[in-house]
Amino acid sequence: MSSKTVPVVEAMNVKKTYMLGKVPVEALRGVNLRVETGDFVSILGPSGSGKSTLLNLIGALDKPTSGTLRIDGIDIAKLNDNQLAELRLRIGFVFQFFNLIPRLTARDNVELPMSIADMNKTERKKRATELLETVGLKERTNHKPAELSGGQQQRVAIARALANNPKFLLLDEPTGNVDSKTASEVLALIQNLNKEQNVSIIMVTHDEKLAHQAKRIIKVFDGEIHSDVVN
Amino acid sequence: MKGIDVFGYSFSAIKLRKLRAALTTLGVIIGIAAIVALLSITQGLQATITGQLNQGLSANTLIITPSSGSFGGGGFGGGGLSDASSSGFSLHVTDTTEIVALSPDIETAVAIISRSGYVQTENLNRETTIYGVDFEQYAQVYPTFRTTEGTIPTNPSENQVVVGTNINQPGQNGTIFFNTGDTINITWTNATSGLPVNKTYSANVAGVLERIGGLGIGGPSDTGIYIPIEQAQSFFGTDQCNMIIVTVKNNDNATITSVSNAITSHFSNQVSVISATAVLSLLSSVFSTIQLFLIGIAAISLLVAGIGIMNIMIVSLIERTREIGILKALGMKSRSVLAIFLGESVIIGLIGAIIGIGVGWGLAIVASQVLGSGAFSPGAGGGGGASAFTITPLLTPEVLVGALAFGVGVSVIFALYPAWRASKLKPVDALRYE
Repeated sequence: MSSKTVPVVEAMNVKKTYMLGKVPVEALRGVNLRVETGDFVSILGPSGSGKSTLLNLIGALDKPTSGTLRIDGIDIAKLNDNQLAELRLRIGFVFQFFNLIPRLTARDNVELPMSIADMNKTERKKRATELLETVGLKERTNHKPAELSGGQQQRVAIARALANNPKFLLLDEPTGNVDSKTASEVLALIQNLNKEQNVSIIMVTHDEKLAHQAKRIIKVFDGEIHSDVVN
Repeated sequence: MKGIDVFGYSFSAIKLRKLRAALTTLGVIIGIAAIVALLSITQGLQATITGQLNQGLSANTLIITPSSGSFGGGGFGGGGLSDASSSGFSLHVTDTTEIVALSPDIETAVAIISRSGYVQTENLNRETTIYGVDFEQYAQVYPTFRTTEGTIPTNPSENQVVVGTNINQPGQNGTIFFNTGDTINITWTNATSGLPVNKTYSANVAGVLERIGGLGIGGPSDTGIYIPIEQAQSFFGTDQCNMIIVTVKNNDNATITSVSNAITSHFSNQVSVISATAVLSLLSSVFSTIQLFLIGIAAISLLVAGIGIMNIMIVSLIERTREIGILKALGMKSRSVLAIFLGESVIIGLIGAIIGIGVGWGLAIVASQVLGSGAFSPGAGGGGGASAFTITPLLTPEVLVGALAFGVGVSVIFALYPAWRASKLKPVDALRYE
């Protein structure tokens, strides 16, 4: 895509240090990254490489220790808790363990981010139904997560992530908890969203095979970007 | 997040753990029910007593007693044996003339001499209080001093008496021991000096009073017998009186205060002047103290309920840490998380308070019926028949609103800490929580 538009994610020399008791642990050691609108990027790395830390930062769940991280052009280091929460409304999170609210139906789960964003009941109900239809769960709108399969739950989670028309989808091991057949279906859905609806995708995974389905693969190792190649 | 959505989300969380929520709410119900029941009974009792006092004591009436003496000797039916105060000061029947002359605002002054004694007929021997009063003046001061049978003689002969309704029919059950025109013996035991000596005289019943009921300070009593003041003076062998009742022309505070002051200074501060207003305000302050005490006791149970709410909220917070992480990752602000948790406590408090008010009111009605069924009936001196003292529980709007506010307030206060902790959770940490 054109580099003239504001990148959805822009990281410049981003470092993140945790204190493990009294010992500082450098989880990220100066990451530089730029993700444009319409990209489909996978961030690949083994356990402990710093990819989860990077995911938390890109998801505006945490702030970098140093360096600049801009989400949709906004430097997150300058935001307070409320502003960070508002920024998260523009990010579509999909978690490895689905993280749906068990007592809410599929539709209520999809409505939740819209309700947080103050959308009115009629509008969000309509949109939730449409989104569930998009992910192929039109018949399951009134089912609770426990009544859905792993793949269906992940589809609900994707529909929920799309609820507020996010700048990008941020997926954390999206197929990590489903069987291989369902994994292919979920991946197809993600690819379709990227291709057909130009939704930017950032997918964090340790699964090399899955990572290679993206347009661009960024390998993270020991808190640094090891390679950044177009697939 | 909109208020209605926050409320809906809180409600869905409560619905998920119905039994837990019900038990938590039960704590609030018990606390509020206790408060409402105790308050409505005491307020009902206060209204009853105040009402009866108002009947027996009008606002323009003042009661004068020797300072260290007790006014209980008159109206409460005690009838002290001693008619002089310990300081040696005593009021005299003739003081009434001096009192009337003190101020143009004073209308009348009526002396009362009272003693404990007995009334006897062929079939009856009953303890009573004998009051010596000027019938005509006494009837002017107390409109309840009127007969249901016979008359109140205007110029009574020395052996004419008027009796309270519980004297000739103590059980109030139709058994009448004597009627108007009958002769009764009145006995008084003089124990003021030396050996006790019984003095008795025969009197003729001129009238039986209408039923009065309740308490009247200085006023007519269902259990008293009334003899002319002159007869009392000679029978009791004294002109010292227990109290003097004064009526003033205006019942405004200024007049009552100036008359009270004039009387007190006339007797060199050796008398107590009690006005109806003062008695009622004293009564009201006594009841306020009792109510405060009872609320304090009931509030302890509400405090326990509050701790229960806090406990349950902290458990809920730990169980729902991950959920809070998800909500925050989805863009929910800390204040909305706070509102969700507080919303749950408001729902528990509101439901608890509403049910508690209903239960408390029910308890008050049951309790008042038990109390009113005869177990608590000071007015029926001689027997367990008719109760003169029925309590109607009162649920004032203040109690209603206060109970609601208290129930919700306690719930919210105890939920503040867990709710605050929930709102302060960092999304990264909360999402990692297993």
